[in-house]
Amino acid sequence: MRSEIVRVYKAVHTWTGIVAGMALFIAFYAGAITVFKEPLVRWATPPAAAESAAQVVPLSEAHALVARTLASQPAAARELRLHLGLAAEPVERLEWEVREEGADEHDRLSSRHFTATLGDDGTVHAHEVERSHLGELIDVLHRVVGLPVDVDETRIVMGVIAALYFLALVSGFIVLLPSLVKDFFALRVGPNLKRMWLDAHNVVGIGSFPFHVVMALTAAVFAFHDGIYVVQDRMIHDGKLGAIFQGRRGSSEGDPRDPATMVPPDEIVARVTELAPSFEPTMLQYVNATGPKAMVRVWGHDTRALEHRALGGFALVDPYSGRVVSTEYLPGRQSAAATVLTSIFALHFATYGGQPVKWIYFALGLLGAWLFFSGNLLWIESRRRKAKKRVANGAIPVQRRDVRLMAAATVGVCLGAVCGISLTIVAAKWLHGHVADLNAWHRIVHYVAFFAAVGWAFFRGAARASVDLLRAAAATTLAIPLTTLLAALVPSLGMWARTEPGALGVDVTALVLGLVFAGMARSAARRVQEGPADSPWSAHAPPDPEPVAVTEPAVEAELHGEHAG
Amino acid sequence: MGSAERPIRRDWISKTLAGALLGFTLALGCSGIFARLVTSLPPPIEAQLAMWMVTPIWLGVLAGSYAFASGRRAWLWLGAANAVVFGVFAAVRAIF
Repeated sequence: MRSEIVRVYKAVHTWTGIVAGMALFIAFYAGAITVFKEPLVRWATPPAAAESAAQVVPLSEAHALVARTLASQPAAARELRLHLGLAAEPVERLEWEVREEGADEHDRLSSRHFTATLGDDGTVHAHEVERSHLGELIDVLHRVVGLPVDVDETRIVMGVIAALYFLALVSGFIVLLPSLVKDFFALRVGPNLKRMWLDAHNVVGIGSFPFHVVMALTAAVFAFHDGIYVVQDRMIHDGKLGAIFQGRRGSSEGDPRDPATMVPPDEIVARVTELAPSFEPTMLQYVNATGPKAMVRVWGHDTRALEHRALGGFALVDPYSGRVVSTEYLPGRQSAAATVLTSIFALHFATYGGQPVKWIYFALGLLGAWLFFSGNLLWIESRRRKAKKRVANGAIPVQRRDVRLMAAATVGVCLGAVCGISLTIVAAKWLHGHVADLNAWHRIVHYVAFFAAVGWAFFRGAARASVDLLRAAAATTLAIPLTTLLAALVPSLGMWARTEPGALGVDVTALVLGLVFAGMARSAARRVQEGPADSPWSAHAPPDPEPVAVTEPAVEAELHGEHAG
Repeated sequence: MGSAERPIRRDWISKTLAGALLGFTLALGCSGIFARLVTSLPPPIEAQLAMWMVTPIWLGVLAGSYAFASGRRAWLWLGAANAVVFGVFAAVRAIF
């Protein structure tokens, strides 16, 4: 490896990293939590009353409800979900969404959810149900690097960040290549803190390199795929891409069909499980059920196979004939080429290997967030002005303005995201029943906490704010299990404490993370007070160039002798 | 190492543009060849695979473009690579 090339890529690594680092911190912290989106939503949802669960129509008798709902509700006819297992929420048998007019297809935060029941006279009663958007909000923060909505424009921002992220990965790898073996097996813990942080940054970076390559490339594809398809349609597919994806299932013209003549749902499920015994169906998704291309996706899980996304995979069934039309997305029964595609998705969404892989992804996600945080710290440390030892009464140098601002931005943005996410999770219980639109409040709570943290970091300076914000991160995160505990001890508060493993897992994880943040706050406090004063991370560093450096040299010298000598 | 090394010009803007633009067209050309040559797959799967292969090639070329000795060389080499790939694509298109 030519040393000249290494120098070029070192510059690439530095600048792509510093531009993308904070956005990637948010994407990874929120992404790690998104792995456990479903248990988190369960934690945030009050348990359904036992009687409402008892009222739900059994699957064997659901046919009339499905058929009449499809016939009378146009929104349900477009897309209707029939939940099979009702061991926990949602307790409604049927569910459909109504999106806001003109909403982006990825923007589910604005959608309203409906369900239907049959009256004694057989008429359909549709009514709106509340769904917690907490998991979706954190997922959106993950998908568009902390921005509030997942639309075309924010996806382009995310795509650019993903491209910078990929450049940072490749360049970081090239920089490290000449000394790969030496550096990978070295964690030099000692007085040279910068060396230790750099070693740790390298170990985490190399150790999770394949994970990060997968994430960078898939994220870039998720951002740009619409545009790539448009260009490829003209260039490669001669404008026939739409027809290719539509398939050869006849024209979309035709008279509406009568959903009463469909095969009953339990029979549809039976057809699929007969074909794939290890597949466990969870939900039927009726798509355009009254049209000529009516289809049912039988979603479910197969723990022994790769799955396309968090919902699992599906078999495609014609609801009028009951025939299984396609197993192209059925876990374990895909063709080789389709398995390649699904494995790409599975590698991003951690939808393979069950719970252990989910925990590995959670850890890799948090480590990734730490990787970007430490990258910013190293950028700052490389630009630190050190006091000259040989000058006897050497004044403590004022740190560069850009270094001080970057330090403040790093702690403000990163810890602000942590505080914002923890606080908005806690808000799910405290605000429930007290505000009209809890889902809107989730967003408000997150961004108020986030921007307050960023403002505080610039106001107080990076050193002091790092301690304050780590304490805030610990407090808000510990508030998650404490809220549950309080809810269990004081039922009159109107909150709830769920005891399913998933919901309890949220509490235990938050407890551990909160204690970790508290530990970090302690060592940060020590560093800020007792560490060398010629650092942006010292409370004793001269905050402003003119007054301290010029008017109080005596104090400076004293500090220097005490802390940095 | 040493004096035999030709210095590498930084040329950040020129190399980034060459890698981003010509890398993208190069990746599209490769996906086009793939889509035309591989005909045994179900069309929706093939179209998706052709889309997925664009980004790794594109960003791989972008990442590699900083190793060129200069921005001018990046444009020349990547331009030549594009000419080859699109030549093959045109040939494949005509034959298959």
